[in-house]
Amino acid sequence: MGAVGTLLNPSLLATTAIFIIIWGMLAIGLNMHWGETGLLNFAHAAFFAVGAYTSAILTTPPPEGGAILEATRTIGFDFPIVVGMVGAIVVTAVIGVAIGATSIRLEDDYLAIVTLAGAEIIRLIIINQGSLTAGTKPIKNIPRPLEGTFQEVLGLGLPYRVYYVGIAGIVLLGTLLIFRHLSNSPFGRVLNAIREDEEVPKALGRDTARYKLKSFGLGAGVAGLAGALFAHSQNAIIASQFTASLTFIIWAAVIIGGSGNYVGAVVGAGFILGLQALLRVVPSGIPVIGGNIAVLRPIIVGILLIVILYARPQGLLGNKQQTLAGMKEGS
Amino acid sequence: MALSLSTFLTFLWNGLVEGSLIALAGLGLTLLFGLLNFINIAYGEYMAWGAYFTLLSKVIGLPFVAAILVGVIGGGVVAIAADRIVFQNFSNRSPVVLLVVSIGVSFILRNLIRLLVPSQYTTALYGVELLHVPNIAGITILGNQVVVLMLSVLTLSGVFLLLNRTRIGIAMRAASDDTDLARIRGIDTDRLVIYVTALGGTVAGIAGIMLGLESQVTPSLGFTFLIPVFAAVILGGIGDPVGAVVAGLAIGIAQKVSLVIIPSEYTPAIALLVLIIGLLTRPDGVFGEATR
Repeated sequence: MGAVGTLLNPSLLATTAIFIIIWGMLAIGLNMHWGETGLLNFAHAAFFAVGAYTSAILTTPPPEGGAILEATRTIGFDFPIVVGMVGAIVVTAVIGVAIGATSIRLEDDYLAIVTLAGAEIIRLIIINQGSLTAGTKPIKNIPRPLEGTFQEVLGLGLPYRVYYVGIAGIVLLGTLLIFRHLSNSPFGRVLNAIREDEEVPKALGRDTARYKLKSFGLGAGVAGLAGALFAHSQNAIIASQFTASLTFIIWAAVIIGGSGNYVGAVVGAGFILGLQALLRVVPSGIPVIGGNIAVLRPIIVGILLIVILYARPQGLLGNKQQTLAGMKEGS
Repeated sequence: MALSLSTFLTFLWNGLVEGSLIALAGLGLTLLFGLLNFINIAYGEYMAWGAYFTLLSKVIGLPFVAAILVGVIGGGVVAIAADRIVFQNFSNRSPVVLLVVSIGVSFILRNLIRLLVPSQYTTALYGVELLHVPNIAGITILGNQVVVLMLSVLTLSGVFLLLNRTRIGIAMRAASDDTDLARIRGIDTDRLVIYVTALGGTVAGIAGIMLGLESQVTPSLGFTFLIPVFAAVILGGIGDPVGAVVAGLAIGIAQKVSLVIIPSEYTPAIALLVLIIGLLTRPDGVFGEATR
């Protein structure tokens, strides 16, 4: 009874929904890179972090000298939240293109490693440029969109998170529509052609490097927007929230959902997070070694990832022909 | 900033130790990479399991040398288990699928450590006082560093002896160069996969133990060490053992000596810098004999 009660708590439900939306956005961005274009981007968590930090820095005032916890941070702008979100998209897209530019001509494996290392450098910069990011300390008091309005106008007495699900949901839906449209446009078809065999669009006179950079920028921009959504849902962000593990989880989401399919990417994110939420409440009666349920979650996600890849190579919603065509046999 | 010669030499020495670690880990990875042709993220976990086998053997009272042996064998056993239970079932799939599968294996192996190991050991030291070394010419030399370097040189020599002087080692190199050609010449490449996995896992185990010896033992010790190791493998040319060792040493020394000009917070970035410069100037690795 207690377990079910926890599961249906509106605040927890809303938190899970917000995370599904944010991870879903990340998965959309990665699907742009991998599913559409065949780019092995392993810097996604860093793009997410850049978005979160950009929006947080743009929308909070510079801390007063008295703020002890943020003593190192001296830069802040106190702009409206919309500016923060747009800024997050632009800055992240530019950084995505910059990382892509160093390595876009490299082969698959090389691109994967260079992006992974690029993400590590971004993490180091965030930790060490304290005047901008507060270093390893949190950036606090990040404003929430329309916080007072909801309570006053609607006055339903629901926690703010419930309303935020609506805001983030609209952003997700808009993103999904835009990317699905892009996917079916001539631009998307060139990206797909690059994924299948780069030589073909090249032979037809397309500047494939340019297309790949655009794909990099678009996917990174969405990850940046996801970061901004995350920052404004959280009140405070801290560098340790943005680890490389997140990149791998989003990869798992895209693959589980079915690469090449934007709805699938979101479903994959929902699948992993839903599973985690279930694992949070169910095993109250099940004895676990050391009582350490937190570490069981990634183990189960890992097993599922492997099982799904084995049993259903195209993922839950993937198009078999499309997905398998993107995966070159041999090397 | 005034820099004394002894400080510089200490940086150089630290770089040599760090480089020998990257070189060793890179050697094991490049052997696996060369034959199996995919980026194995779980390699870091083979290292962590090696370190934990040793740590726990030490805790239950084995002498340290025996504990090291347990860790070395443990690394190989974990690698073989991962290959037989998981990777083998994906052997006809694309390298990218295998890469994503290895992410899953990495999640499982890393968190199994957290699940199985008592919580007081999730950050631990071996607690061994190995050697006391006097400072030579003002260079700060730690006993652990000497042991790490010795173990590394010993292992490297052993592996290169195996690769160059034994039939199985030569078969490994041949199959890494061209698997189909090796098979045509009568090499049982399927069985070779097991041998190479065992060798790669063993080397990973040793590297993990040494990493624990140099700093501390944590479940993510190998995972966080992957970037310089991958950089060494790619810079050295995938599947090229000598290249991986040379590139590993170069990256380690560059990281530590760079302290002269850049703040220590950014040393990990040096691996990437070396990698990018290397890839742009010599896309086939330092010796230009990459397998692809």
